[in-house]
Amino acid sequence: MSLRVKFWLILLLAVVTAALAYPREDQILKSVGIKNTKLSVKQGLDLQGGAHLVFQANAAELKKLSASDRNQAMTSLIAVIQKRANPTGTSEIAVQREGSDRVIVELPGVKDINDAIDRIGKTANLAFLEIPSSDPSAQIQDTGLSGKDVERADVDFDTQRNQPIVTLTMKGDAVGKFGDLTTRINKEGGRLVTLLDQAIIFGPATVSTPITDGHAQLQGNFKTVAEARKVADQINAGALPIPVQLVEERSVGATLGQESIARSVVAGVIGLLIVALFMVAYYRLAGLIAVLALIIYALLTLTLYKLSALTPSTIVLTLAGTAGFILSIGMAVDANILIFERLKEELRAGKSFMTAMETAFDRAWTSIRDSNVSTLITCIILYIFGAPIVKGFAVTLGLGVLVSLFTAVVISRTFLRMVIRRGWGRKPGWYGLPKGLEN
Amino acid sequence: MNIIGRRRIWYAISLLIIVPGLFSLFTHGLRLGIDFKGGQLLEVTGQVTTAQVQDSAAQLKLKDVSVISSSGNTLVRYRDDGDAKKQQQDHQVLSTILANAGHHEVRFETVGPSISGDITRNAIIAVALAAAAIVLYIAFAFRNIPPPVSSWGFGIAAIVALLHDALLLIGVFSILGWLFQVEIDSLFVTAVLTVIGFSVHDTIVVFDRIRENLRRERGSFGQIVNQSINETLARSLNTSMTVLLTLLALYLFGGETIRLFVLALLIGIASGTYSSILNAAPLLVTWQTFRSKRSK
Repeated sequence: MSLRVKFWLILLLAVVTAALAYPREDQILKSVGIKNTKLSVKQGLDLQGGAHLVFQANAAELKKLSASDRNQAMTSLIAVIQKRANPTGTSEIAVQREGSDRVIVELPGVKDINDAIDRIGKTANLAFLEIPSSDPSAQIQDTGLSGKDVERADVDFDTQRNQPIVTLTMKGDAVGKFGDLTTRINKEGGRLVTLLDQAIIFGPATVSTPITDGHAQLQGNFKTVAEARKVADQINAGALPIPVQLVEERSVGATLGQESIARSVVAGVIGLLIVALFMVAYYRLAGLIAVLALIIYALLTLTLYKLSALTPSTIVLTLAGTAGFILSIGMAVDANILIFERLKEELRAGKSFMTAMETAFDRAWTSIRDSNVSTLITCIILYIFGAPIVKGFAVTLGLGVLVSLFTAVVISRTFLRMVIRRGWGRKPGWYGLPKGLEN
Repeated sequence: MNIIGRRRIWYAISLLIIVPGLFSLFTHGLRLGIDFKGGQLLEVTGQVTTAQVQDSAAQLKLKDVSVISSSGNTLVRYRDDGDAKKQQQDHQVLSTILANAGHHEVRFETVGPSISGDITRNAIIAVALAAAAIVLYIAFAFRNIPPPVSSWGFGIAAIVALLHDALLLIGVFSILGWLFQVEIDSLFVTAVLTVIGFSVHDTIVVFDRIRENLRRERGSFGQIVNQSINETLARSLNTSMTVLLTLLALYLFGGETIRLFVLALLIGIASGTYSSILNAAPLLVTWQTFRSKRSK
């Protein structure tokens, strides 16, 4: 590929990435005919605010199951938690399995976290029990009906008692069973109790008329509609197949997240400016080329963050991730520094500009390659073994190293070749060397 | 500059910083944060004094309560040994008391013992794996090195420099924990690993030049190593400068949550530059001198 073609391709890359990295890229896309495409960098919970919850399945309950049943139980556990955490399926709530017995729930922008924990973590075992009347000391009997027999639960309002209630619609054969049960209790004068996780939500009460249409009402003692709604949602989502316990919670308020973003942007811009100043002061024209490459590096990285949101492997930017990105700015110029120092050395040794430049790139390359591999090895290990906060850092630093290899080697090289091929670029003073080395 | 000739001075300076750190590590250990030992962390706005939470903490039977204020916000750390339900209620009580006094909750973390056990185990595995992977990689990358030092010699010298940086960083944080109650968390482990990666990155650049010069130049091994260090000196210092400057910007202007993480990176990367120039390459010469003396 000729130098000229390379130069125009780099320019094209710079323009495209600048347009995509621009915060209102949707307007630019619209002007070229791509409508309704809004790209954005996916922010981690510590930046946008929200809660990271980890639930662990009860070990004793899991032990009772065989290996395949255990897996089955975890799969259905995740399905139930998904339904509870995200009943409408519209919000950006992520539920995923971790290891053999944990479930991670990520709730962006949630306000009442304790309410969310209750909503998700309750086992929600619905039980219908019978208290026979004939003998007051008689044992309470299980009726054999449970939450599984409920088609759906809804919230209604009892205008007589001025209280919200939960209505149940029984499923298939359960309509008949419930009808028979209530008819019998009605005849014998017994009482019916409904429990949710061992807490009474209805009764004990006598049955005044048999319920044969499968529509039951739970009066409970719901103080608010929201409280009744929560119970209805839990019944609808079904009981958790295994009880769970909250073992980790990390929540960040949206204000702290916003503050972190603002501070990171300031730190990033200042860091970029200082590095740019240093490079230009020390390496002059070559430094300026490195700064151009660095700007394209920043634009390209930002574009990759945004575009990754369209793919399944979205890059999530966390606070530690921004630190990784800013650190990678400092590291990105390393390859340039290696090349420029080598260039100066070759020039001092009396080589012509053309030879010196090509030798500099060739000789510096092994150092650049070998040294960056060690950073990439650490990033991969951090990603595999790291906690979520660490993974974010590993991804941005690793991506930064890869992108900077491309910008430092391809982009700087093309620009440097262009200025050196034209006679005006061949001045030692422009590379931070003393004058008088002209050749 | 005669760097190799003064190598004992450089080793002594390293020991001068590492030994106090190790002393603190053996006598006081590291102050482990909730990531490693479980517990709760509550960040609220404004300055809170220990007295403000003391009574309620005692009532709720919270243990190991510590209150640390820093620029704007306050961190309240404690350990609640009750079950999940009690922990949730205690958090609410504490949060409400502080909110009533005008300190609003901005961050809350609770880590259970099973999670902290996993984090600790993974951290140890990660550090061990990273070190092993890097030795193998260097031994591989330098497999065609001309005599007198084998590629394993280079790998081991790089590992010594890497251990230097890791021990120095851990030692300094042990002292900070002892004197200023600084706790370490998952991010600290990340910092240690990043520093290890960077240290090796720097060391490889010097080693790469030694390899090149061994093929081209004549002279004793010591002279060639010294020449190689001098030739790469400007690069090593300039790269560290750009990295340290960006980290300094992050330390001064970045978020409070990552300030200690950035401090760890600053210390570690400064140490990494020092050890790559003044420890790793001179060690090759020490190693070679030792071997040739023995074989005589």
